[in-house]
Amino acid sequence: MSEGAGAAVPPILSAHRISKSFGEIPVLFSIDFDIRPGEVHAIIGENGAGKSTLIKILSGLEQPTSGTITYQGQQVTLPPNGEAAALGIVVIHQELLLAEHLTVADSIFLGREMQSGGFLKLRKMRAAARTILDTLHVNLDPDARINTLSVADKQMVEIAKAISQDARVIIMDEPTAVLSVAETRTFFEQIRRLTAQGVAIVFISHKLDEIMELADRVTVLRDGQLIATVGTENLTPDSIAQMMVGRELSNLYPPKHEPDVDSEVMLSVRDLSAPGISGISFDLKRGEILGFAGLIGSGRTAVAEAIVGLTKKTSGSVTLKGQTSDFTDVSKSVAAGLAYMTKDRKGRGLLLNAGLTPNLTLLTLNKHLKNGFLDGSSETKALERAVRRFDIRARDPSVPVGKLSGGNQQKLMLGKTMESEPDIVIMDEPTRGIDVGTKQQIYHIIAALAAEGKAIIVISSEMQEVIGLSHRVVVMRQGRMAGMLEGAEITEAEIMRYAAGIKQGGEDDRLSA
Amino acid sequence: MSIKALTLALAATTALASTAIAQEKIKIGVSIPAATHGWAGGLNWHAQEAEKRIEAANPNIDITLVTADSPADQAGDIEDLVSVQQINALVVLPFESDPLVEPVRMAKESGAFITVVDRGLPDTSIQDVYVAGNNTELGSVSAEYFKTRLGEGDNIVILRGIPTVIDTERFDAFMKGIEGSGINVLDNQFANWNRDDGFEVMQDFLSRFPDIDGVWAQDDDIAMGVVEAVRQAGREGDMFIVGGAGMKDVIKGIMDGDELIPVDVLYPPAMIATAMDVTVANFTSNGPVQGEYILGAPLVTKDNAEQFYFPDSPF
Amino acid sequence: MTVSVPEAHKAPKGFRIDLKTAGPLLALVLLIILGYSLNPAFLNEGNVTNLLTRSAFIGIIAVGATFVITAGGIDLSVGSMAAFIAGMMILIMNAAVDSWGASLATVLLGIGCSLILGIGAGFINGFLTTKAKIEAFIVTLGTMGIYRSLITYFADGGTLSLNNGAREIYRPVYYDSFLRIPYPVWVFIIVAVIGWILMNRTAFGRYCMAIGSNEQVARYSAIKVDRIRTWTYVLQGLCVSLATIIYVPRLGSASSATGVLWELEAIAAVIIGGTVLKGGFGRIGGTVIGALILTAIGNILNLTDIISNYLNGAVQGIIIVAAVYLQRGSLTSKRKKAE
Repeated sequence: MSEGAGAAVPPILSAHRISKSFGEIPVLFSIDFDIRPGEVHAIIGENGAGKSTLIKILSGLEQPTSGTITYQGQQVTLPPNGEAAALGIVVIHQELLLAEHLTVADSIFLGREMQSGGFLKLRKMRAAARTILDTLHVNLDPDARINTLSVADKQMVEIAKAISQDARVIIMDEPTAVLSVAETRTFFEQIRRLTAQGVAIVFISHKLDEIMELADRVTVLRDGQLIATVGTENLTPDSIAQMMVGRELSNLYPPKHEPDVDSEVMLSVRDLSAPGISGISFDLKRGEILGFAGLIGSGRTAVAEAIVGLTKKTSGSVTLKGQTSDFTDVSKSVAAGLAYMTKDRKGRGLLLNAGLTPNLTLLTLNKHLKNGFLDGSSETKALERAVRRFDIRARDPSVPVGKLSGGNQQKLMLGKTMESEPDIVIMDEPTRGIDVGTKQQIYHIIAALAAEGKAIIVISSEMQEVIGLSHRVVVMRQGRMAGMLEGAEITEAEIMRYAAGIKQGGEDDRLSA
Repeated sequence: MSIKALTLALAATTALASTAIAQEKIKIGVSIPAATHGWAGGLNWHAQEAEKRIEAANPNIDITLVTADSPADQAGDIEDLVSVQQINALVVLPFESDPLVEPVRMAKESGAFITVVDRGLPDTSIQDVYVAGNNTELGSVSAEYFKTRLGEGDNIVILRGIPTVIDTERFDAFMKGIEGSGINVLDNQFANWNRDDGFEVMQDFLSRFPDIDGVWAQDDDIAMGVVEAVRQAGREGDMFIVGGAGMKDVIKGIMDGDELIPVDVLYPPAMIATAMDVTVANFTSNGPVQGEYILGAPLVTKDNAEQFYFPDSPF
Repeated sequence: MTVSVPEAHKAPKGFRIDLKTAGPLLALVLLIILGYSLNPAFLNEGNVTNLLTRSAFIGIIAVGATFVITAGGIDLSVGSMAAFIAGMMILIMNAAVDSWGASLATVLLGIGCSLILGIGAGFINGFLTTKAKIEAFIVTLGTMGIYRSLITYFADGGTLSLNNGAREIYRPVYYDSFLRIPYPVWVFIIVAVIGWILMNRTAFGRYCMAIGSNEQVARYSAIKVDRIRTWTYVLQGLCVSLATIIYVPRLGSASSATGVLWELEAIAAVIIGGTVLKGGFGRIGGTVIGALILTAIGNILNLTDIISNYLNGAVQGIIIVAAVYLQRGSLTSKRKKAE
């Protein structure tokens, strides 16, 4: 308990020698973990390292197979099903668990409604919600419906809900995975405000830079083992990464191979407008990786969806390999050699209840028909191919893909997209919510595809990723192209300037029009 | 079809026209169940025929016919007849007796003359006139016929309707009627006054019992299904079938000397027309009309079948 | 023999499905044992033939319903649609007999019209759900009322009966057999086999499951969601018309009482068979078993008098719930093993 960085404050929540097995499969081995009031403690590790299980045990959602939990100085057995929230231990899940049609105030008090005589005291709850949101400096209407909010705002609602429960410990699973850079800033301020009030924060993240900035201590897990708990001041991103994967991560990003100056233009977009975007123009060459950066909601996904025909474009033209193309649905764009990989792998990318094979071949089922009937062996071969090529790891191909780790889901989705043998691939957030090791794999796959002669667009909210992969970068802002960066211009500072609207236009004179 | 559309349109215009001069007319509301099975289909047809006939004969009478799909629906219909149409008399064939007591009472309290048809209300003080077929008699007349054809040690099966008072009255009277005759009832099952169910239940009876001498189907729709099942099994020569109600196809068969369904017991859907006539008589004749009109359940045989044959009725 | 039918329709590679269908199959076997012990006549050839023939109507319709439900839809109109198609067939055949006399051509004309009407009615349901974007529940509730009223209207509230001449020509379609198996059962077997292949061995079946599982994923995977959905309703309409084609020669009549509650029976057969009501997962084999279970319950109740007639509905309800419980139970144990 006293092994922390020499602090005098006793931990509010601690776990001693926690082990956990599911059936016969052990997932955690004798983990020690503690968190003090006002502290930010990050848990980090590759997918499958046991992070999620640990936070489930810390919040009572799972009971440990052995080991003890101490909360506020007393050894306790935490109640199941999130009832620990009443004790002050609140979990905010990655997929924010909010009912889409309720209002902000409804959501904050869901399950703990203020009532009198069986009737809801709506006005009082609204006022209370207002007060909480104000203390958090969040400008949200308590009557707004959840489904009208941005992801960042939804997260604030979850935090407000936690505060309203008088949370002493808030446990967050990858809170920044879906936030833009600016939103992440706001979120960090919020965290600091909470810790100043003595709230203890446990959070899981894959973003090393954020951990360095926000956390006081870091616990690294690997394969269910506790590797180390270290004060952040003694760490560098490299040393964390090394602890995570147990090996040197020298080249997170592969070297860039510049495409030939005279290589063929594969995709040419001119003055594209669609709901949410307008005046988008750019060219994409064979072998090129074009990054799309910008804040969340800046219209990057809308550009992709308008190009492939998921949404109707209102004006402008898309030229594919010299041919004017007006895709009215995805099947046409796929047939033309243009594939889009969604960022929402759970909601739009994969059938979570189905096995690996049906997911892999769903986009290209016509390739697996023999005399009009599905050819099972051809599908099996496709899966074997994809497993080899993209290093997809699953015990059993019939296991529902919802049970795979995020990294394997992402690789499967990549496999599905590449099954259509596209010449042009648009990848939307290709590494969202996956661990560093898998990220590195995916980066190398992307670079290899470009080297093979594919033309690739990478949309990403992780600036490092855009910078590390792209030959050129489009920065989007409020549905328009704010800038086009090339070569040495591609820096974090420069991208931020365009994304935040400090700088307008770029080298490309088309943009100033 | 086009003729039908035309009549509908005509009916609509007459309805419009009649509302315009509504005040001077005697308004009679007729509320019956929708034509969801054969007998109710006949009921609807006879009601429509009677409406046309009565309105043609009595220019001062305006009849509004409404059909309902459920007791709740019918309660709503009656409320509308009272409040919107402001009827002077209500002829009602209740879907079910109990749920309709209050709506009918309300109509009574508004001053309307009440004629209840077929299914009696538990509170008889509400009604001015009660017109009904005789379910008990249907059962006992059928039993009498079975006794003339069968005796000690003969086997019969019974296909019943839907579990309701009507069915129970018929069944109990039949059982009482054959008491002591030595006729052996192998089993009884519900066939829901439905041809398909009659067919399937009879199929199962046939596979279960090798020796059946008679079938009491107590309804002509069921009997039609039973006939097909018996034919399928090739056992037409072994047994006879008695239905009930007076469906035109069955009556026709009896007229032609059908051996399989030699007789029928009447439970005429035309009783609605009788009820409407009686109600009109209350307004057109000198004296008040009150009391109960229980129609008989005569046995239809080859000799008298012709008088019960309505080739134009859908039933 | 009862057991051999679900077996017979399985394609050679369907072993995996067999295991998944174990729950409902077990329920059916228990039901058969129960039936036999209550009355040995249950397994007489005549009774088994009756049972299979009867299950054909609901079974064929349920095969269509399996596709609709798997793709995340629902069709409440099938019972009314069957009554309507049956009525129209009879009217058309009667009219044809009046003009040209009764012949095989008359019957074929009726059958042709039935197919056209079924496909058309299915297309209307599909079009309204996909293009007009109205919930399937509402669309088919609406068409259910419409068809039911239309048949009542055309029959004047009574019964439409097929002309006797045509009847005699058409009658064998229901009553005659090939290799001792009645024609309706053959139709059921063929529909089930084709349905199984369609569901498990073609892109269409895969797409149905994908759409029912997650419409967005399907859309992002280049699947023409609206088109596939519409096809499921057309298929359902076709199945209804096939069921009607073998229904009409049974009694040679149609009325507003025809096909009442068939939609619920078909949906129940589908769910008993293990298809998920909210879509995404369909089992044709299970549906066939579900239809057999439903029919067998009624048959057994008719073959015995140990249970009061008044409790028939309760017995049916208990068996249906128990069958579904068996099927869910087997699913859960399977999932546990997978973890």
